[in-house]
Amino acid sequence: MECCGPGYSSPLEAIKAPREKLLYTISIYTGTGIQKPDYLATIDVDPKSETFSQVIHRLEMPGIGDELHHMGWNACSSCFDDGSMSRKYLLLPGVRSNNIHIVDTATDPRAPSLYKVIDGADIKSKTNLSGPHTVHCLGSEIIISMLGDAKGEAPGGYLHLNKDFEIQGRWENSMGNIKFGYDFWYQPRHNIMVSSEWAAPNTFMPGFDLEEVGHLKYGREIHFWDFEKREPIETMYLGEDGLLPLEVKFHHNPDSSHGFCGAALSTNVIHWWKDKDEKWQWEKIIDVENEPHPEWPLPVPGVMSAILISMDDKYLYLNNWLHGDMRQYDISDPHNPKLTGQVWMGGLLGKAPLVNGVKVAGGPQMFQLSLDGKRLYVTTSLFSTWDNQFYPEIREQGGVMVMIDCDPINGGMSLNKDFIVDFGNEPNGPSRCHEARYPGGDCTSDIWL
Amino acid sequence: MRVITIANQNGKTFEVNSKRPILESLHDQGVDLPFGCKYGGCITCAAKLISGKVDQNRQVALNNRQISNGYIILCVARPLTDITIEVGVESHDQLYRNPFLDPLKPHELKADIATLEKE
Repeated sequence: MECCGPGYSSPLEAIKAPREKLLYTISIYTGTGIQKPDYLATIDVDPKSETFSQVIHRLEMPGIGDELHHMGWNACSSCFDDGSMSRKYLLLPGVRSNNIHIVDTATDPRAPSLYKVIDGADIKSKTNLSGPHTVHCLGSEIIISMLGDAKGEAPGGYLHLNKDFEIQGRWENSMGNIKFGYDFWYQPRHNIMVSSEWAAPNTFMPGFDLEEVGHLKYGREIHFWDFEKREPIETMYLGEDGLLPLEVKFHHNPDSSHGFCGAALSTNVIHWWKDKDEKWQWEKIIDVENEPHPEWPLPVPGVMSAILISMDDKYLYLNNWLHGDMRQYDISDPHNPKLTGQVWMGGLLGKAPLVNGVKVAGGPQMFQLSLDGKRLYVTTSLFSTWDNQFYPEIREQGGVMVMIDCDPINGGMSLNKDFIVDFGNEPNGPSRCHEARYPGGDCTSDIWL
Repeated sequence: MRVITIANQNGKTFEVNSKRPILESLHDQGVDLPFGCKYGGCITCAAKLISGKVDQNRQVALNNRQISNGYIILCVARPLTDITIEVGVESHDQLYRNPFLDPLKPHELKADIATLEKE
């Protein structure tokens, strides 16, 4: 289908897109002791290039201490029919500073430039929100989950920006009885949005106190929203199976009602769907067992901080940040996932301390899959204060990015031997890379109307 | 006015207004320290108090273990006396702890959920 808006007419068209040649990842100095701004790194991922597997550009933020974390596009395939829109700007929120940086990636994709900063103080004064996390575009508008109010208390809400990045106020009409915010994803053909729960910024930003889970300072529910009315309609209490329900993803197929959530501390995958009576149901489909550790009094939980669905909806990828493995599951039958691939890199269990000659501090944490489903780029840092608790050596060693080759036909995954980006060698000292995105859209950004 | 001594910067001293947050006062005098949220919620600017007293009632980031280990949150703390502090990550040796290896006792939690220590 010919059109002039951003993205692709369908997930199947997206799979056919040309191979990615550049990749952006944020990298942080916040919490490392190095007094430099966090930055957006451009990585050369073109195997034919002389600078393959290297950082080829660094765009520093104007201030220090933002803690860049997740990011999102100004426009995606939800604007495919809108010729006035283009995927030009990447939004980089600072979780701690509340500043939202708008970066122009189109003028020179190899060397993005700062276009605008939405002042964090302005966001607080106009919306009483702080702690920006997930960015999604909704047609030409943008909403961002904000994990706290202006004082860092839960539940926060949703910041609404227009296409010119002007603050429109709060997106939601009600937060209902929602206690916490984190990630969200929407599926417009079912008029549904699902949101998940981490904790209040004042709880998670200083670090992780396990006892606070028992004191209900961390989430264990996911929420279903009437997307058009912008209000929550149903809450699923996941209990012990769903401690810290973080990332939520629907199938890319816009007709599907199936979606998935990774419960980080329980290290489970929760699956939801709409049954034949139009009721939303949920079940636990993957349960990663805790593993014994010689020095730990308790077995080590996997800590599944992220999940990702391949563009063809066939595979679900997940990480176990503390164990140190990435996994691939065939979810052709979403009720019965089958483990089809596993790769070890870093982690606390000592199974793969070295990857391609680089000593890995941290474990697999954030990842981005190529649109064709063949290359998975994985980074190792979770959040500065949490890194400092579980992997203190990351201060000296920095983060790494690795590439895992994935077989989208038969399943299976293996470490690519030719690719590793060692953020321990950055010019200003060891930094920590996190979420990654491609200029042409990726497997965690686009939604089809 | 109060005097702040930074022990791990060659004992340099700074005269500051006792009504202003320490981070702000030091920043104005050219001391470049890490910070994040600027409202006492995120721990990035934590420093260790070696001697003296501060008012940090506005901080919500520290648990009672961290407070008893001397940590203060510079973006909201104000000096009540002359103080000596250690700053930056060099002072963070006891700030971060693996929560599974070294759990908190009920009285060591954050103030809003901590119970009183049993005698």
